[in-house]
Amino acid sequence: MGWTVGVDVGGTFTDFYAANDESGMVHVGKTSSTPSNPAQAILTGLTALCSQYEISVDDIDRLSHGTTVGTNALIQRSGDVVALITTKGFRDLLEIGRQTRPHMYDLQRDHPAPLVDRENRIELEERMDAQGEVVTAPSREAIEQAIDQVVATGATACAIGFLFAFRNPAHEQLVAQVMREKAPHIALSLSSEVQPEFREYERLSTTVLNAYLQPIMSNYLQTLEDGVRGQAKNATLGINQSSGGLMSPQRSRELPVRTALSGPAAGAVGAAHVARQTNRRNIITLDVGGTSADVALIQNFEVDIAFDRDVAGFPIRLPSVDVETVGAGGGSIAWFDRDGLLKMGPTSAGAAPGPACYGLGGDQPTVTDANLLLGRLSARGLLDGDMGLDVNLSRAAYQPIADELGFSIERTAHGALGVMVANMVRTIRTISVERGHDPRDFVLMPFGGAGPLHARDVAVSLGIREMVVPAAPGIVCAQGLLVSDLKEDFVVSRRFALDDAGVDILCGALEELNERADNWFRQENAPADARMLQLVVDARYIGQNFELAVPIAAAPTLGSGDVGSADELHAIFCTTHETAYGYASPDDAVEIVNVRLSASARLFKENDKVENKPSSISPEPRDHRPVFFDAGTAVKTAIYSRSDLQSSQVINGPAIIEQLDTTTPVYPGDRATVTAHHHLIISIEQGA
Amino acid sequence: MGTKLDPISLEIIANSLRSIADECFVALMRSSYSTNIKERKDHSIAIVDCEGKLVVQAALTLPIHIASMGGLMRCVLDKFEGDIHEGDIFIANDPHTAGGTHLPDINYAMPIFNDGALVAFICNIAHHADIGGMVPGSMAGGMSEIYQEGLRIPVVKLFRQGELQADIMDILLLNVRVPEERKGDHNAQIASCKLGARRFREVIEVHGLDDVLEAFDEIMSRTAVRMKSAIADIPDGTYEFSDFMDGDGMGTTDIPICLSLTVQGDNIRLDFTGTSKQVLGNINTTLNAVQASACYALIGALDSNMPSNQGVLDVVEIICEPGTLLSSVFPAPVAARAHSCQRVIDVVFGALSKAIPDRVIAAANGANTTAVFSGVDPRTGKPYLYFETLAGGMGARATKDGKDGVQVGITNTSNLPVESIEQEYPIRVVEYGFIQDSGGAGTYRGGMGLRRVLTPVDHECVFNGAGERFRYRPWGLFGGQDGGSGRFLIQDQNGERRLDDKPGEVRVNRDDVIIVETPGAGGYGPPDQRAAELIEHDRRSKKFSDSFIEQHYGTGNRATEG
Repeated sequence: MGWTVGVDVGGTFTDFYAANDESGMVHVGKTSSTPSNPAQAILTGLTALCSQYEISVDDIDRLSHGTTVGTNALIQRSGDVVALITTKGFRDLLEIGRQTRPHMYDLQRDHPAPLVDRENRIELEERMDAQGEVVTAPSREAIEQAIDQVVATGATACAIGFLFAFRNPAHEQLVAQVMREKAPHIALSLSSEVQPEFREYERLSTTVLNAYLQPIMSNYLQTLEDGVRGQAKNATLGINQSSGGLMSPQRSRELPVRTALSGPAAGAVGAAHVARQTNRRNIITLDVGGTSADVALIQNFEVDIAFDRDVAGFPIRLPSVDVETVGAGGGSIAWFDRDGLLKMGPTSAGAAPGPACYGLGGDQPTVTDANLLLGRLSARGLLDGDMGLDVNLSRAAYQPIADELGFSIERTAHGALGVMVANMVRTIRTISVERGHDPRDFVLMPFGGAGPLHARDVAVSLGIREMVVPAAPGIVCAQGLLVSDLKEDFVVSRRFALDDAGVDILCGALEELNERADNWFRQENAPADARMLQLVVDARYIGQNFELAVPIAAAPTLGSGDVGSADELHAIFCTTHETAYGYASPDDAVEIVNVRLSASARLFKENDKVENKPSSISPEPRDHRPVFFDAGTAVKTAIYSRSDLQSSQVINGPAIIEQLDTTTPVYPGDRATVTAHHHLIISIEQGA
Repeated sequence: MGTKLDPISLEIIANSLRSIADECFVALMRSSYSTNIKERKDHSIAIVDCEGKLVVQAALTLPIHIASMGGLMRCVLDKFEGDIHEGDIFIANDPHTAGGTHLPDINYAMPIFNDGALVAFICNIAHHADIGGMVPGSMAGGMSEIYQEGLRIPVVKLFRQGELQADIMDILLLNVRVPEERKGDHNAQIASCKLGARRFREVIEVHGLDDVLEAFDEIMSRTAVRMKSAIADIPDGTYEFSDFMDGDGMGTTDIPICLSLTVQGDNIRLDFTGTSKQVLGNINTTLNAVQASACYALIGALDSNMPSNQGVLDVVEIICEPGTLLSSVFPAPVAARAHSCQRVIDVVFGALSKAIPDRVIAAANGANTTAVFSGVDPRTGKPYLYFETLAGGMGARATKDGKDGVQVGITNTSNLPVESIEQEYPIRVVEYGFIQDSGGAGTYRGGMGLRRVLTPVDHECVFNGAGERFRYRPWGLFGGQDGGSGRFLIQDQNGERRLDDKPGEVRVNRDDVIIVETPGAGGYGPPDQRAAELIEHDRRSKKFSDSFIEQHYGTGNRATEG
């Protein structure tokens, strides 16, 4: 009887999702987060979950954990002093960045100051050229001097980033070796290990972020591992990465920057799992929380990956789930801009004071207040009645806006939600149309506390006809952690033309990457039947300066036979280019700049022994109340409890389905069907 | 509909239009070939109404391009009245006859039809890496007529009712260096237009044509009201300021730019009378570009979230006599107009400093320092062209230091990664960093200039450059000191020497070194009020030398910050 537990630590709650790989039984749990020591909530929540469902802690095989410790440290800049050793002549690179300012017209706003102060950026006389040939070798004396300077800064971590180290890491490795001898107490991050790809600023930034997070993550994991070992001694700990896969605690100590964007990644992976369970191949996710909404694309049950993201204003160039965030959530505030247009967010009332209806002192009109005014949210409140909502406070908050517009309160609230939906739609367009996809070919999957409330209008604006609301929309992230694979990404950064000779270089690179992947599989004890490799090249037309990730092949093992001929590869590139940019130039030469191999080992075993009693009885509503589905009039609407619903049951709109932390409206004419896994499939009325 | 759109519906439609512009912006960026566009984002998108008025720009659009769209549209509408059809695409670049601001910026406009009626245009501008002319990159100094600067394109139809006019494309490509790449840029611009037109028709489907067109007018008129209310916050009065350009690279130096800025209620007038006649060298600008620069400065000082559209342009009255530096006429060369535009911004801030001192910044690097290397790549035997503009200091602000090494004013283009430069061109970058002591001292100090040192690898090459504020240093405000000036240097077997400020066709031998230094920026407020912590930071970071600190801040006791 082995249990796997996914634990997602959020700002307010720590969520648990436990599954048994033999019985197929699943349990969910929620406990308040403990921001000063997040491990505490994990351990107490785990104990509570085990005692509630009579799980023996010794039966927990795996604990998969998503942490925002790194992300928060970057946002709050709570780390210690970090030093940097870089190529002579380039210590200001980290501060110059791409020489741009963050806002075109704002004379006061700057990019954040670098995480390494100028006096702690130490230059070393060394140089590689673009081919990775040594131009200037560093002298032992100069290296030792540089290290002395690092030690003098009092830094607990040091980044080493040299030009062209992605082509030849010898100088970085040499410095690291001397450093380990002379100053073993300082944690090291090498640009050639953290992100061996060209573009020195982005690589350097990523490496510095990694160094900054090393001491913090190391401390945190120590506490967590000790606690887990004491409590669930058989559990293997896995840490979630921004790319949507797990890594070992040891790997996360070395590469903590890989957790920096992992928060939304788990949600996307969980959504992909729901996509498989509902057999919906192409999904747009909409995860709406209190202050923001995350949007991601799932194609063919796979989550899209991007390579250029940033956190707290610093660029990170690592494979990350392609999640776009928009400042629109339940707490987003309605306001008039100077030209009189009504805006929603990005300012949010957050959890405290929160929306006006919480009665905690907030008096600003928020998204949640609008939903309450329209009857879409119950005045009994969230969390199944734990906390009542005061509609009179919402009314008072919206009254000034309604007066200004000369609208009824309901029309005002409806309009405010419309503006918020427009913001979400714009973001979804950015990540779909811009990537060459038509949103109409996708199914919308709303989750998070506030996702299902707004999804219907978003779907209609995008021409989407169907929605999937997961069984437990509030803990999709924890579910994602549970089903995540172990994952590692390898890259060889080399620029070569895609011709016959280029195919040979590509095969050589694949061989090198295969060896690294094999080593990793062995280290992680990944059984052969759970392994998967994906070969991707970053390619572009010669002369272009922006590369496109082109998937070449995916299989448990890959050899040169899977690579294909130069002509075949060229054709694959052109098709990908056509999809992404709307045109291809079949006669133009193509070059490859990076060769990537993504290795994953499947950990989760899907078990379909779920209670699956199709029910032919119509569900009984718990209540009725008037609800405004449009701005005009309220209709009497049946209120269902999600926990009453059984598989195969159908609910025709108008209806409201309430559960622990989410409310799902079913609009008049729409139809919701409960699946075997208790997900809801909502088909939107044609002509809506 | 006829009834006035409410602020909610209007916001929703405006959001859809902004969404179109943003999508087109990214599509153009990602599919183009020119590094100017791809890495430096030297391009813009706009939606324009059928009278040529600018309605919406992409969020990342460069301020310099704001007026150019309108300029192009006036020419399209004049020349092709009654002859605009579905599937047409217009292109142009000429500053004197077609609304452009300089030749490398190629402007595209595609009309959008609904039920056979013209309803709007989708436009884009992209800076091509070369447009022909005497010198690779088409941006260097030393030319006295626009003919020398490259191919002049009047407003022509590149597509007629969906059909590419291949002979026009042939002319365009025959006249530029590295035509294969430029073809890629044109394709990217064409694809961006088509995407925009498709998306615009979708928006009409959802919201209805009447509401969309009404939203056009509302967006512009509400922005005009917003701009007027911001202007009304400026105390009434006439504020004067003047500055000098270093020179035009053709023998004219100390070129005055004079401004008399008058605010009366919610009206504003910028009178540039007294400014120099147009000059022989290429720092002349067209009136469009001055309009864009002046509006940039006003938005930055007054309300930085102001939407950028016709509403702003219409409110700001500009007086600038034709035939002068800032309103030049044929055959004035204009390639390096950005230098003068940057100076216009400094001058507007200078004038406003007398009215709203807390809202403006001291003089910035005030330049668009340009470095162009060209030659034959010894590794491939093919010609190459490496073009870049370098940032410098940002002027100090009323409450904080100016940012070091950053693009200012009308431009916000990225640098090229050193690892891109060296992989793609036979050039090595030896050094890239801040210039010590280049930020002007002050209560808040000016930003620092940048120094980039480059050398050709295994071959000889040619260097062209253009700099400003290489003699007239960026001024400080209210006791703040001037920032450092920039310069170009060469190191060869004869040692190190300074080059012209706008050097043309400098031969760089194997192992010679070119040094580009960009200007810093002026300080704000008297240096003796600078907080001790900030001085200590200047010292510890070695951004400023001990002697500089000694000279400007002395060693006396001073207050702590805050």
